[in-house]
Formats: sequence, C-alpha cells, structure tokens
Amino acid sequence: MWRLLVIWVILSAVGVFAVLQLRYPPYDQSLQGQDQARTLALLTALATPVFLGVVIMILYSAVYFRRKTRDLVDGPPMLGHTPVQIAWVAISSILVLFLAVFGIATLSSENVAQLVGATGRTIGGGQTGGATSGEENKEIHVQVIAQQWYFTYRYADYGGVETTHLYLPLNHPIELHVTSLDIVHSFWAYELGVKADANPGVDNIFHVTPQKTGSFQVRCSELCGLWHGHMSDSAGQVVNQTDFDTWIAQQQKDFETIAKVVPSYAPYYFPLPLTKGS
Amino acid sequence: MLRRVSFVGAGVVVVVIALVAFVGLFMLRQPGALEGTTTKLHLETVAAVGQALEWPRPNDPHADWVGYLPTTTWTVPANSTIQVQIDQEDGASGLRNPFWGKVFGTEGGNMHVTFFDDKGNPQESDMTSIDPTQAAHTFAIPDLGVFVPLLAVNPNAPANSTNVITFSFKTKGPGRYRWQCFVPCGAKTIFGNGGPMQTIGYMGGTVIVV
Repeated sequence: MWRLLVIWVILSAVGVFAVLQLRYPPYDQSLQGQDQARTLALLTALATPVFLGVVIMILYSAVYFRRKTRDLVDGPPMLGHTPVQIAWVAISSILVLFLAVFGIATLSSENVAQLVGATGRTIGGGQTGGATSGEENKEIHVQVIAQQWYFTYRYADYGGVETTHLYLPLNHPIELHVTSLDIVHSFWAYELGVKADANPGVDNIFHVTPQKTGSFQVRCSELCGLWHGHMSDSAGQVVNQTDFDTWIAQQQKDFETIAKVVPSYAPYYFPLPLTKGS
Repeated sequence: MLRRVSFVGAGVVVVVIALVAFVGLFMLRQPGALEGTTTKLHLETVAAVGQALEWPRPNDPHADWVGYLPTTTWTVPANSTIQVQIDQEDGASGLRNPFWGKVFGTEGGNMHVTFFDDKGNPQESDMTSIDPTQAAHTFAIPDLGVFVPLLAVNPNAPANSTNVITFSFKTKGPGRYRWQCFVPCGAKTIFGNGGPMQTIGYMGGTVIVV
C-alpha cells in the first residue's frame, strides 16, 4: 500500500511538472486567450494525479493480482476498505469544489467580462473619426460579417471600411460585432480565444485585447454548407499601432472605389433585398 | 512467441519502408513543368446549363440550374499567370454583400468588360468595380485573394447576347483551391443559396494547381 502511494506521489509530481511545461491552446495572443490557456493548464495539472492514480492501480493490479494458475476460479472476495473510500470521496469532493470556485471566479474576472461584454460598456455603432495611437483605451469597433463562405470585416471607427482580412492593433481593446448575411455561422479566431455565433439579423458582441503580434487563424465553426470546411483565413494579424495605421489607411484608399454603393456602417448589417434567387 | 515477434518485426519494416518512400517522393518532387508560363481559361456562365450557347448540357439532371461551363474543375500550373475569359450570359441577381462588387486580386486590380448599354449598343471598358445590384455572378478563389464580379447582361441587349469579362491572376504553389460564386443565384431556393450554390459542378468547384 505504502509502496503504491510513494510511486503515485513521485509520478504525480513528475507528471504535474511535465504538463505545466506544455503550452496550452489558445495560447497567449490575447488577454482572454491567456485566461483560457491558464484554466486549461490548471485543469490538466489537477487531472494528472487522478489519471496516474487510475493507471498505476490498473497496472499494479494486473501485475500483483494476476491469475497465478491456469484454473478458472473466483478471486478473493472484496470486502471494502473504509479509509480508501473516505480518501477517494474526500479528494474528489475537494477537487470538484475547488474547480467550481475557480470557475466562478474566472467567469467573474475582468477579462472574461470584457470578452462577453458584461462590463456595462456602451454598445457602439456608426462611430467615425477613428481611434489613433493616442487613444489607447478607446475600443475599436470591428464588425465581423459572415456569409457563405467567407468572413469580411468592417471598421466602424474608420469610416466603415470593409476588408477581406482581420487586422488588429496590439494592446488595444477591440469590440467585435459578429453577424451574418445569410445563415448561421460561427466566428472563431482561434489564437485570440474568441468564438462567437454569427446569426443573420443579430449583433453578437465580444471583446478582445490582443497582447502579442503575429498571425492568427479565423475559421467558421458552425457547419454551414458546401464549403464550410474552407471557410477559413490564416491571414489574420495582430500588428503594432504604426503598422495598423498604415494598413487601415491603405484599406480605406482601396475601399473608395466601392464605398459609395456599400451601406453605411450599422450594428445590424442585413442589406436589402432579403430574398434572392427568385 | 517467435511468430509474434516476426509479425511485429514485419510491421516495423513496412512502416519504415513507407516512411522512407514518402519522404523520398516528397523530396524528389519536381516543380511543375509549366511554372512561370501563361495559361488561358475560357468559361461560360448561364442561368440554365441546358440552354447554354457554347457548352450546353441538355441532358444534365438539373438542366435548369445556373452554372459555370464547360466544367467546374480546372487544372492550372503553379506560380503562373492565368488569363481568364468568361462569357457571361445571365441577368442580374445582385450581390448579398455589395462589397464584392469590387475587383480584388487580378493583375492591375481590374477587369476588361464588353457589355451592352441601356440602348442595346455594345460597349467595352476596364472596370475596378460594378454596381452590386447588376452582378450576375462572381468568380472568386478566396485562398488566392481573387474576387471578380461578373456584370449582368443588360435586359435591353439583343437576344442571346453575352458579356465578355477578361482578366488575369497569378497562382501560388501547388494545391487544391476552392472557388465559388458570391451571388446567391440558386433560383427557387431559400435566399438563393441552395441547389446549384451547394453542388459542385454548377456554382462551385476546385482549381487544381499543379
């Protein structure tokens, strides 16, 4: 018994140390993603001793309690072990209660509240003028428009310019307004830790603050028809403010040729006519 | 025991051979012989594939469906220029997202269009965008960044008139790239997004870059 316990403690210590060395998705490109990665790391670390305990017990039993002869006979009767049962129930209860408290605390944290827009911020729409590097705390409003089978993006604070890729400035709070032009899609910016339903006629609001430059993937996570599997884009970028200003200026220039026929920015992007193909 | 070891040994040998073959073939793969060349792609878009002017499919199981002809699977060389001519015979359905009225990803950022004006006279022009309500279809290969709106035939044009849209774009490395139409042009389906919009061989297909 003690031998088993020592083996379990040693392997658990090694296992927890090992799993804490791993990087967990969705990594740390945004504050919200970092929270999710930390939670995943904690859950994995707590699950490791439980997993190892089960595996060690199975292996130990297979080796020490294996059938000694080739005769088919019943094993010795199991009469129970009160201390083990108490420990088992107590440890499980502590783990579950701890995770419940941790989960509630995480859901109440500022980052998660920001992600789901529960901080009482005004839901924007139609703003013009543009956030600049001098207005670091002002949220940039970006509308995510899903349709079969591509995402486009409108920057409300930059004259409603629409783009084919999502670029976000570093360390700048972003308010995403996710909607759809046709059927139900789901906007999943993987490394940013954002996954939001895109429903036609609905303005689904999420908040994210990128904290690391680099590319990220955008994909649809709601089965949406023939090319659902191809509804993705790996050209999303988090860039510094200067690069973002340069990029958005170029987008605004390119947009001029079509701007006059694209409707003004609005939280609900559902252009007429509603029905086609008739 | 010996038999079991033999099986395991044989399995390991097979896996090793497969790995070596895979790596060897991957490393020996040569670039496409046609890389850097120019390839022409001639297509036709029509409201009913059974009644197309150039490549009609009267025996098609969905002869009344809209479609690209003569095929929706195109093989083109990698890292090359593709010159596209689309003979567009269809009327306007209009874009769901007006943004796609702009030309993206072509050489020069534009397209050349021969069309008919409101008096039915033939015209031609280089365009960087069209009126989104006058779009019949789009030619879009999203992963190559190519989005080209196709101007509808003017209702005042003579019977059996065709708009001819030409443009060029460059391919990237080998791979399979989906293409699609962004105009919800599936007649008699919900929001125009059913039927031919959801079926390869009509308003969607694959560009195979080799």
